[in-house]
Amino acid sequence: MESKFPASTLAFVAERAPQAIRTPPGRHPLPREFITQHQRARIIAALAEETVEKGYRAVTVADIVRRAGIARNTFYENFSSKEDCFLAASEFAVKEALRRVVDAASKVDTWPARVNAGLAAFLHYVASEPALARTCIVEALSAGPAAVDRYERSIQAFVPLFRMGRKISAKGEELPGTLEETIVGGIFWIIYQRIIMGQTEQIEELLSELVEFSLTPYIGAEAAKRTAAEAPPTPAS
Amino acid sequence: MLDLETRDRAASPERARIVEALIEIAAERGYVETTVEMILDRAGLDRSAFDRHFRGKYDCFLSAWQEINEDCMRKMLEAYNSQEDWPDRLRAVAHEIIEGLRHDPSRASFAVEVLAAGDAARARRDMTMRVIASLVDAGRNEMEDSEAVPHTTAEALAGAAYGQIYAKVVRGEADELPALIPQLMSAAVMPYLGIEAALKELGRGSEQPARYRRDVAADSPDKPIDPATTPEGYPPELARLPPGRHGLPREFVVHNQRERLIAGLAESIAENGYSGTTIAHITRHAAVSRRTFYEHFSSKDECFVAAYDTVMAELRERVSAAFDDTDDWPHAVKGGIGAMLHFLAAEPHLARLCMVEALVAGPVVVERYDAAIQSFVPYFREGREGRSPEVLSRLSPTTEEALVGGMVSLISRRIIAGRAEELEELLPDLVEFTLTPYLGSAEAAEIAQED
Repeated sequence: MESKFPASTLAFVAERAPQAIRTPPGRHPLPREFITQHQRARIIAALAEETVEKGYRAVTVADIVRRAGIARNTFYENFSSKEDCFLAASEFAVKEALRRVVDAASKVDTWPARVNAGLAAFLHYVASEPALARTCIVEALSAGPAAVDRYERSIQAFVPLFRMGRKISAKGEELPGTLEETIVGGIFWIIYQRIIMGQTEQIEELLSELVEFSLTPYIGAEAAKRTAAEAPPTPAS
Repeated sequence: MLDLETRDRAASPERARIVEALIEIAAERGYVETTVEMILDRAGLDRSAFDRHFRGKYDCFLSAWQEINEDCMRKMLEAYNSQEDWPDRLRAVAHEIIEGLRHDPSRASFAVEVLAAGDAARARRDMTMRVIASLVDAGRNEMEDSEAVPHTTAEALAGAAYGQIYAKVVRGEADELPALIPQLMSAAVMPYLGIEAALKELGRGSEQPARYRRDVAADSPDKPIDPATTPEGYPPELARLPPGRHGLPREFVVHNQRERLIAGLAESIAENGYSGTTIAHITRHAAVSRRTFYEHFSSKDECFVAAYDTVMAELRERVSAAFDDTDDWPHAVKGGIGAMLHFLAAEPHLARLCMVEALVAGPVVVERYDAAIQSFVPYFREGREGRSPEVLSRLSPTTEEALVGGMVSLISRRIIAGRAEELEELLPDLVEFTLTPYLGSAEAAEIAQED
């Protein structure tokens, strides 16, 4: 998997959208707005690329417009502000990641195997979209109050998937209330660190460690290690 | 490396006033809106005062941020050392951080706002985060099999805690922070000590462990009290000791005694840890008199600083020689890392002293440790030369710092686990890890595997 940083975002959002139209029904098509509003996708891709280069706060609407090759008016027809556009980018990325995770997890039976398969799909997505990942994970922790809402919303999107583990844990009721936030936040942080270190190509190699980290509180270290040692189904792109 | 002049300027009251004003304004207005004029207005100073200390707004922000991080690291390590048991140590660190944020809302807001200054601010934060992760990772020493927990776990736990605390600070909900302590403690203890210990931490609520073991130790009859190891014994001039001083030529015998004392310190640290080491231990190992010790050093801390500087100078020299030995950059990096691992593996006591105890020793060497990390950055930065735009685009301005930091934390974890002798086994992994951003994983792996 090549690390086309940051051009891949544009490739993904802009090129994938038309393909999605041809996707047969039932295969989780991309969100409607990305199918019907090609422009929105291009703008979001431009935002992600600009953000990687300059950091969220330094990016202006003018930068985005220039990178996307659109008129300023077109930007404002789609988004009310840079913040609005950022929010849409983040929502898109979270939805898409969640779709891939749920899709991968539904192919296996037990909860630990689902975590394994879901995380594999998640890491695969991040590795293929480093600019978008950086925009949503890294910048969320440095862009002030509104960004914090996004960061927490991204985390909360994945929390229920882990919370299910409490049902199979002997101590499920007693576990710390923010355990799932810690697991998801920890995974985000590790990914952030790898992106910063220029190790996007190796993100998928983190799978077994992160699976063990996520499962240990629910099923104990031994069982977590066993699941982590199993190869999950190859993530579909 | 900080020089004497920088330190003097850092101690200037005028500079301190500017920094205080900056922190207040930035907390109110944010990074972008803060101007030098506003800062000076608040501080009641003129532009020439600002120019004496800072090159501009960005420089001023980063200097203030650097000081806040150093101060935070110092306090964290003091809190960590104030307790005996690892969970109590972590708990003390959590309290230190959270109480600091609650009682100084301006600094807390500043810590959020400064991130807008860009990658350098973030890199500084990440260095502090790596220290926190290494304190969490010390939990593996409590386990029968110290390699049983994946190495990313501590990093993940520290990062997740940061995210939760950050969110509360941004929302102005600092008063809810203490309620996070049992939650964070429980999650942090779980991988290392198991579920029962984790539930126990949860049950302790936001209880604070008794502070400062030093006070406790002073009442304890079975521990010999050495005036130079008590906090009062920290000589104030130590903080201003220029690093270069120890390299001055001296008489051979004196020099030799110094080296014996340094070796003695390293041995007693290996036996007792830094905080458990007394001057009596050092003189016993060095086989010199107590008087001789005081002819060379005024305290244990000063001896430690000298030892640290000596070891780091040696390490730097070896790395630099190995690096310069080869023209081809990737192989030069491999040579440099190899030389570093070889030295540390051959000298496990010194390795422990400079890579592990330096972080736990606290106030005296924290900034030297940072400076040492920075001194390895240029070796990697050379790797950018002549790379394609595609490769350069995947590097961030702080990639090199992150690589050095990542490498150091992998090395120190081995040393903490008491496996310094096996450090050379890390060579292929470290070479692949550090070369990948520049060469891609295939070529990096190939060079890593070559003999």
